[in-house]
Amino acid sequence: MKFSLLLFILFQKIKRAARTNKAFQSYIKTMEAKILIKTADGKRGRMFIFDRGKVSSLRGDQPGFSAALIWSDAAIAFKVMASGSDEASFHAAAQGKLKVEGQPFFIQWFTDGVKLIM
Amino acid sequence: MANISGGHLVAKYIKEVEKINTVFALSGGHIKSITDGLVKYGVRAIDVRHEQAGAMMATAWSIYTGQPGVCIVTAGPGFTNALTGVVNARFDNIPLVLIAGRHMVKDDLKGALQEMYQVEMIRPVVKWAATCYETKRIPEFLATAFAQAIEGRPGPVFLELPLDIVGVSVPEEAAPMPTRATPKFTTHPDDVDLKRAAEIINAAQKPLFLGGSGVTFSDCEVALKAFLEKTGIPFQLHNYGRGVVPDTHPLSLMDAGFTGLMLALSQADVIIAAGIRFNWIFQSGQAISPQAKIVRIDIEPTEINRNRVAAAGLVGDVGSVLNQLSPFVQKRDHSAWITTLRRAYLAFIDTELKLREKPSDPIHPIRLVEQIQKAMGDNTLFVTDGGDTCYWAFAGFRATEKAGMVVGTGGLFGCLGTGIPFAIAAKLARPDKKVLLLNGDGSFGLNAMEFDTAVRHNIPFVCVVNNDCSWGMVKHDQELSIGKECLSCVSLPLIHYEKMVEGLGGHGEFVTKDEEIIPAIQRALKSGKPACVNVITDPTAVSPASLAFYVSLKVD
Repeated sequence: MKFSLLLFILFQKIKRAARTNKAFQSYIKTMEAKILIKTADGKRGRMFIFDRGKVSSLRGDQPGFSAALIWSDAAIAFKVMASGSDEASFHAAAQGKLKVEGQPFFIQWFTDGVKLIM
Repeated sequence: MANISGGHLVAKYIKEVEKINTVFALSGGHIKSITDGLVKYGVRAIDVRHEQAGAMMATAWSIYTGQPGVCIVTAGPGFTNALTGVVNARFDNIPLVLIAGRHMVKDDLKGALQEMYQVEMIRPVVKWAATCYETKRIPEFLATAFAQAIEGRPGPVFLELPLDIVGVSVPEEAAPMPTRATPKFTTHPDDVDLKRAAEIINAAQKPLFLGGSGVTFSDCEVALKAFLEKTGIPFQLHNYGRGVVPDTHPLSLMDAGFTGLMLALSQADVIIAAGIRFNWIFQSGQAISPQAKIVRIDIEPTEINRNRVAAAGLVGDVGSVLNQLSPFVQKRDHSAWITTLRRAYLAFIDTELKLREKPSDPIHPIRLVEQIQKAMGDNTLFVTDGGDTCYWAFAGFRATEKAGMVVGTGGLFGCLGTGIPFAIAAKLARPDKKVLLLNGDGSFGLNAMEFDTAVRHNIPFVCVVNNDCSWGMVKHDQELSIGKECLSCVSLPLIHYEKMVEGLGGHGEFVTKDEEIIPAIQRALKSGKPACVNVITDPTAVSPASLAFYVSLKVD
């Protein structure tokens, strides 16, 4: 539940930044990408859709992503994402609790974009 | 004693003083005395179809042999055609000696054929440039040119020989051949700097070693391997340094590819960078964790703090510095860090690993690379040229010896068209090895006529064209930055490049299915001819390098 709420709040921040944050507007203005963040069982997740400056999102597991961050469970996902630590993500990946599918570049792009608005 | 012409002095010097047996040339009226001399003194001249390719082959000769590469071109357009290859050598710090003809001194300002002032044009892109105005001083000028090319940080040099200097004769005793007391001088860091570097290395918990072209030109296989094995530090070797310690070494992180490199850079607490620049690939140093301490080893002092201030800087030849540093460093075991790092980057490249394992239709380029590696085995020199193509080759091929995997396009100049010249030079330099070139279809066209050079000189190699019918990296950049509906100047038709190679006397194969890849390469190898295996691949495949290219060119 906390993980789903975190994803929802993250989208609200992204949506707001896309309207008001000039650096973020510049960052996303040419990108077309769909970033899915979900649990491995697919029960929780959200797709963040970037379409040349416009942002939207879809709740739950979604097909057609550019890249996906797949967490072993919601609790670890919440803990690591809430910490905002690259090192925590690194260790989660090393421990088999986080996996990337699709193009890793899009995950890097998304992570760097989120840092702009935090 | 008999007289000797200026052109023959050139050939005699190359053969007898530098002990170089192969040069790259394209004939011309202003250099006929030199090419005649090459025949007389038994210097093999690989005569190319375009001077650009000649300069690139000479560059690659230097990489594969350690000797300075020599390219000889005629005045005017022969000279200007060579410039792209020279600039590429400059950006990559390769010791290339370009010798060009020139109009006669007595014709200055008269509107002579191909009258131009070449030294002024080339000076900004070479280490040293000069015109020799006296025939008997040609050996002296050549000695200076070669010394300038190899001493300190290597680089290209230029010597211009006017027709009325190179075409006249002098008594042989008036132009003695110089002897070289020592081929190379070195500088060494102070003990205090070595101890400072060792303290940092000994205290590291998550170290990473990065080596570049400076490793290859240092000729330091033994010193580097000993240093890495004593310190237990995992490594990636880039540019022309790839393979100096094989990719198959237990400490190698070459299987991490670009994605794993970025991850390692963000997590390492100490980075030892030897003979490598923090250029755009490293986001000018921004890709490295701000907390990481940097130990920089470079023959060029101005590189030590470039783009990132080093905690310790050691100026000198990489191998020499490592030999000096080794007594100060402790034997360590970083296997826990290496295991953690490996598990993490494998989680990030999971998709790519799966793509390698299974057949795809259309063929995915990383699957093509996997099949090529299976067909060729490890006793192979791999070369690649292109945009996305270079990434797939970089990530998928294994280098098991020095310069075993060369990305000619991967240098700072990003010079497409290097593939075929580099492959030809690789085979000439190491004839006992198989040579496999993976070429993008766009870049293939830039020097494709050099297949004629390979056929005429009987230089067999296999060129696999990763044919996505486009200038793929630029296409993907346009898709990201402008939009898929606005692509311009990036499409290519489906061209039967293999037929072109057959027409030149080589062997051709055309492949559209996964199961055809390995048999086609085997037939190409068996033909014993320069061969082209034209493989149609997935045009939608985008490499991480393509995306990095897009980021590096993004205008805020």
